Order: sequence, then structure tokens, then C-alpha cells
Amino acid sequence: MASSTLLPVLRSALAARTLTTPAFSAPSTLLRQSPLFLQRSAFQTSAKRAILPPLSQSIKGTVNDAATVPEAEYTHGSYHWTMERLVSAALVPMTVAPFAAGSLNPVLDGAFIGFIIIHSYIGFQSCITDYFPKWRVPKWRKALDWMNFLAVGLVGWGWYEFETNDVGLTEGVRRIWKAGSQVDKVVA
Amino acid sequence: MLSQRIAQQTLRRLALQNPAARFVAPAALASRNALVNQRRLAATTSSMQENQPNTEILAKQRLARPVSPHLSIYRPQITWYGSIINRITGSLMSGTFYLFGAAYLAAPVFGWHLETATIAAAFASWPVILQFLTKVVFGWQFTYHTFNGVRHLMWDTASGITNKAVNQTGWFVMGLSTVSAVALALL
Repeated sequence: MASSTLLPVLRSALAARTLTTPAFSAPSTLLRQSPLFLQRSAFQTSAKRAILPPLSQSIKGTVNDAATVPEAEYTHGSYHWTMERLVSAALVPMTVAPFAAGSLNPVLDGAFIGFIIIHSYIGFQSCITDYFPKWRVPKWRKALDWMNFLAVGLVGWGWYEFETNDVGLTEGVRRIWKAGSQVDKVVA
Repeated sequence: MLSQRIAQQTLRRLALQNPAARFVAPAALASRNALVNQRRLAATTSSMQENQPNTEILAKQRLARPVSPHLSIYRPQITWYGSIINRITGSLMSGTFYLFGAAYLAAPVFGWHLETATIAAAFASWPVILQFLTKVVFGWQFTYHTFNGVRHLMWDTASGITNKAVNQTGWFVMGLSTVSAVALALL
């Protein structure tokens, strides 16, 4: 057919035209001389700064597969949410009370440390989930999740030793805070 | 009469087979254009599968695409600044807490002295202005995280969740935590 022979002819004619008469010759020489050598073409003026560049994309299964809905687990869902808020709310009076009352109670101090550790565990868990997604860095995610879990035991042990051998969290903070103004009163 | 009855029964049977038949004019049902049950005698195959070579070029090309700026151009707002500062202050305090706990365990091995008496004496020997600034900085982490935490808990009761309230409470928390941090440092 006439149209089928016309199209390739047109295409080669156009190609020949662009090869012999480049439309943007002047900017391309400027490109080589200009400091913005990171320009990818004459139209793009800002440097290529890819924050979180796209990864190699792959299609899992076929395009007709339905989206997978994860199994509902209450311990990682609404129960987790509730516990998180309860611990956070409990920390507010627990922080203020020992400093306000001025009394030293190792049981209360120990409970305070325990609540801080639980709160920190939940907080770090959120950070790890946000910044280390399974689809991007599965091994790092698993490692960090386990380190977060084991840190609870390690840090708990360390602060138990501190509570036993030293004055405890609230009294320690109070002494260090007032250290400058009570130089002669710092008790060993 | 009989023919009408037969027609009615036929239509009812059709309606049972295909509920949409109830809403189509009976005359249309008689033609072969309404409610045609499709029977696909050949299965369609997907051309977008993982292991087919025609998607490789596409996937490679996607890697070369530029990324639209996101973090570098988002306008600073009290909403997301406040949120990330809450996370940073929390992480810093918890990180310090965790590091001290672990270091206290390791101290005998390395010969460190992490008792309160030693730390207090060392801190007391710093210049006063440095003591004050350190207390303000550490205090601010604590006060901001606490007050913003209360703001979070307030949101969990579904109060103050309008844009205006979020802006107002956000700036209020910023101011309150600065004032209280300075006040605590002066104690």
C-alpha cells in the first residue's frame, strides 16, 4: 500500500534532517564549558540530585493478580496502638512526680525506667518500620528488629545495675542538674 | 390467554437465570441483542509477565528516569517539622538512655567511671555558660517531646484535628517547651 511505503521514507527524511542540522548545537558546546556539566540535556538546568532514587522495578506475578491483604493481627494492630498510648500517658505523671515530690523510691524509679524502655522500644520500632522497608532492605530490617528487641534486655540490665549500685535515674539526674550550683554539696 | 401465560412463564424463567432480564423490555429479550451471556472460547494471556523479555527494556529505562524533588522542595510547615522534631528528640533521648545503660555495663571492662558522683563533678567543672546551654539543649529535647506527646494524645481523643488547631497547638508547644526548658535550666 502507498501509506506503508510512505511512512519509512518520511521517517528517514526526518532523521536525516536532524542529523545534518542539529537544532541545539550552540547550547551543547556551552554545556561542555559550563560548570553545570551535570545537565542531562539542554532543557534541564538543575543538577541531578536523586534522593531515594527508584529501584529496579519488577512485576510480581501478573497484572491481573489481586492486591494481597495481610492477615489481621490485633497484637500488631489496635492492641499495639492502645498499649502505645497507655504507656505514653503513664509516663507523664511518672516523670513529674519524683522530681516534684522530691522523694526517693527505688521501686517507683525502677518502674519509671521500665516504662521508658518500653516507650523507647515502641518508638524505635516505628522508626525502623518507616526507614527500613522489607521490600527494599529485608536483611537490615530483620537485623535491626532483633537488635531493638535484644537492646531491651541489655539496657534493662544496665539500668538495673545503675539502680542497684548508684542512686537511680531521678536522683542521678537531679544531682547532675544541680551539680554546678552545689559544688561543695556533691555527695560521693 | 395460554400464549400470554406461556410468555409470562418464559420471562420469569429468564429472569431467574439472569436477574437483569427483569429490567429489559420483553420485546428486546426476544431479539439476540439484549443480555447476551458471553462465552469466551479462547483464554486471554497477559503480555506483562516478569520473565518475558519485552519488559526488561522498560524496567531498565525506569531506572534512568529522573526523580521529582520531594524532600528538598516541600515547604516547611509546623505540621511536618513538628512531627520530625518530635521523632528526633525522642530518638536522641532514647539513644542516650540506651547508650548509657549499655556503657554502664561495659564500664568495668574499659575502666570508665560512669557513677553519678564522677559525672556530676565533671559537669560542675565546666564553664557556667556551657553548663547552662547544655541544660537548655537537653531540657528542650525533654520538654518538647513531652508537650508534643501530650498534643498527640489530645489528637487521639479526636480533638484539635482541624488545620487551624494543629497550627496553633504546634506553635504553642514550641513556645511552651522553649520557655520551660530555659526555666528548668535556671533551676
